[in-house]
Amino acid sequence: MDIKITQQENKTIVVLNGRIDTSNADQFQQDMTPLMEGENPDIEIDCTDMSYTSSQGLRIFLMLQKSVMARGGKMVMRNMNPQVKEVFDITGFSNIITIL
Amino acid sequence: MHCEMILDEYREKLPVFKKLKEVVMDSVRNCLNENNILVSGLDSRIKSEKSLTGKLELKGYKYRTLSDITDILGVRIITFFSDEVDIISALAEQLFEIDWENSVDKRKMLEIDRFGYMSLHYICRVPQSLFYDPAMPELNQTRFELQMRSTLQHVWANMYHDMGYKSDVEIPVEYQRNMSRLAGMLELADEQFSHIRKEINTYRRKVQSLVASGNFDEVPLNGDTFRSFVALHPFKRLTDKIAAINQAEIYEDSLMPYYNVLRNLNMKTIGDIVRMRNEYSEYAFQLALIQLAGTGLDILANSVALQNLCIVYILKQGFGEAGLLRLFNALYGENDYNKDRAKRIYGQAKQINII
Repeated sequence: MDIKITQQENKTIVVLNGRIDTSNADQFQQDMTPLMEGENPDIEIDCTDMSYTSSQGLRIFLMLQKSVMARGGKMVMRNMNPQVKEVFDITGFSNIITIL
Repeated sequence: MHCEMILDEYREKLPVFKKLKEVVMDSVRNCLNENNILVSGLDSRIKSEKSLTGKLELKGYKYRTLSDITDILGVRIITFFSDEVDIISALAEQLFEIDWENSVDKRKMLEIDRFGYMSLHYICRVPQSLFYDPAMPELNQTRFELQMRSTLQHVWANMYHDMGYKSDVEIPVEYQRNMSRLAGMLELADEQFSHIRKEINTYRRKVQSLVASGNFDEVPLNGDTFRSFVALHPFKRLTDKIAAINQAEIYEDSLMPYYNVLRNLNMKTIGDIVRMRNEYSEYAFQLALIQLAGTGLDILANSVALQNLCIVYILKQGFGEAGLLRLFNALYGENDYNKDRAKRIYGQAKQINII
């Protein structure tokens, strides 16, 4: 899993590349932790090159979403491939997270 | 000369007023929070030296010392509804010592054929039981004014004040009638808002007991009844069964987005939802099974059960893939994913003989 984080105007752009699974979920969580603090909570996650997420990934996205909302911000995920989108659909996470 | 003395006293006592303002505002905020009361506004001000000078120039003869002026610190609580002013005043009476002699209920001062400024003004002190600082004992002797009024009363007072008047006797007689008509209209609106709110609360209690009674066919489907129904966790058994596929943790989310979906599916009563659940739970489970088995996904939103029930219902009603697309568009907005999802689920439904 390769993660690129950049700041664009007032939001954080996260570009994910690869799989989120048991082998790298802890690292992914550590990488996302700084985004759960700070004054500019808006986050956009580009999933173009994200090939899979396990339940651990879903939990981290959920934590991120909660922290963003608690600070009055908005989190959106974009450009999911059909396999990743299916994970969000069948777990009901499409109802919780905004996917564009 | 005596006005100068009052101004000197004001400058000297300014730190006391600042501390008093802090104590009063904190106490009021805490009290509102503890009693779960939402107000439309809470603000305070310490009269500026300029404003005090103006007051003394006009009415200086009325005051011997600064303590005769009771509104150096003014606090205002604006409620949403007019009947809440009485609730707030009862709390203020518990919180502060009220100087009844100088407090006025302007709501009761108007003649029966007059309409105008309506507000409740209490002149208060902070009792030692609420706050006491031995270094500033005069704080407990210092009076302040607490104004309580509804939002519409506040609107009227603000408009009136904005036009440059402080009381209705000052307004030119040719405009008094129009101002009175306006005040009467706002008073009536205030009363109606309170009345409607009471009726809605009564309706909600009635609905809750109707839903709890289980006579679901008698309960029309609307936002209130759906909320009460969902509070009974009517899809819990199905959700638990789906979660058991992967021993999943359930994340509780709001089911309210499904209210419009169910209305669009032409459901008229809560009984219609119960029938859908009773008739299609097994299919909804089978659909979840085919989707989740072997994935190892062990976290689920509680909406999965209702989502799958709606999917099965749509297919059983013969709305097909287009019906599924309409469902997803309604839930997530129109986007490129929905079409793929409708097609995929339609295929899965065929596999397990839903259609």
